Amino acid sequence: MGEMDQMKKEAEGLKSQIEAARKAAADTTLADAASGVAPAPRVQLKTRKTLKGHLAKIYAMHWATDCRLMVSASQDGKLIIWDAFSGNKINAVPLKSSWVMTCAYAPSGNLVASGGLDNMCTVYNLKTPVVKTVKELDAHTGYLSCARFLSDTEILTASGDTTCALWDIETGKQKTVFLNHVGDCMCLALSPDMNMFISGACDSLAKLWDIRDGTCKQTFQGHTSDINAISFFPSGNAVVTGSDDCTCKMYDLRSDQEVISYQDAQLNSGVTSLALSVSGRLIFAGYDDFNCNIWDSLKGEKVGVLSGHDNRVSCTGVPQDGMCVCTGSWDSFLKIWN
Amino acid sequence: MDELDETQMKNQVESLKYQHQITREKTSVTIPELVKWVEETMTEDPFLNSELMKDNPWVETGKCVVL
Repeated sequence: MGEMDQMKKEAEGLKSQIEAARKAAADTTLADAASGVAPAPRVQLKTRKTLKGHLAKIYAMHWATDCRLMVSASQDGKLIIWDAFSGNKINAVPLKSSWVMTCAYAPSGNLVASGGLDNMCTVYNLKTPVVKTVKELDAHTGYLSCARFLSDTEILTASGDTTCALWDIETGKQKTVFLNHVGDCMCLALSPDMNMFISGACDSLAKLWDIRDGTCKQTFQGHTSDINAISFFPSGNAVVTGSDDCTCKMYDLRSDQEVISYQDAQLNSGVTSLALSVSGRLIFAGYDDFNCNIWDSLKGEKVGVLSGHDNRVSCTGVPQDGMCVCTGSWDSFLKIWN
Repeated sequence: MDELDETQMKNQVESLKYQHQITREKTSVTIPELVKWVEETMTEDPFLNSELMKDNPWVETGKCVVL
């Protein structure tokens, strides 16, 4: 008993020291540094395409690296591969479990993955004459909330069992398990250089991990509820998070702290998803209130809104070329905007 | 969230020690560099540079040609 109390005290002490170190590094604010920057113009986007085909809530979407194809996952029990230019469906992959929460497109375009309340990540080959299941990655003891391919042979997963894992797809085994969160992991994002990733969890913390050595490098606090969405800033030096506390935040990796919070007194819906434009200047954040708000990342102001869904926006994604933003919703539709 | 057991608590403490040790750069250096990076990259951002949005694959090229 005594040892636990001692360790708790030590942990609290270390957290205070970390906070003190952060304060010591904070000799300017983003508000000051960006004071000379012109505000971003009001952004008014049009729906260019509405992708219809799912029969139930859409939970996730992910662009392929060709910026034309994308995959979406719905609790109608299907993954649909779309040609976003034409709006045509290229493939419909039936899922063993309809309780899907995430989907991912491999950078090569050869594979897609899905997972959810079945606690598994299933990898599919799109290039065989009929879409085939390549592997069922089964070791998590909680739901699969997010998956991202590093390549055709490795994939990262985030789980409700509070862990993230790096898998070898060929063997089906976990190479590395990332342990540190004390709440369900809800989202993850890969760094542009693919050496690190960040995770967001129900413990309201975001954590930065080294993919190869498995260690948690930094922990970012400030949110007061579950972090549902997370993304690296395209420069690789900052992280943007979205939470059930109705705010988005940017954390600077180099100074190890929060630098701005994107919030509005009238906004009292949780953030479900987010995506950044290629320069990072615009943040597209999906909310429970059926809208996607567009934030000026440097000024912290709302510069636009995407209204058009009839239910919660559950996922957002900007393709690599930055030419549009896609929103997916519980209303069963995906919309392409620019 | 469940209470941590001894091993988990030990790992948390070790991890905090490790995270405490990192070098934190001053925001007077890091934030202006971030702002500069964004400003420089904005010219490549189709949402902010309308030149790039001219080849919009979702906008139908007109069927009419001005003679």
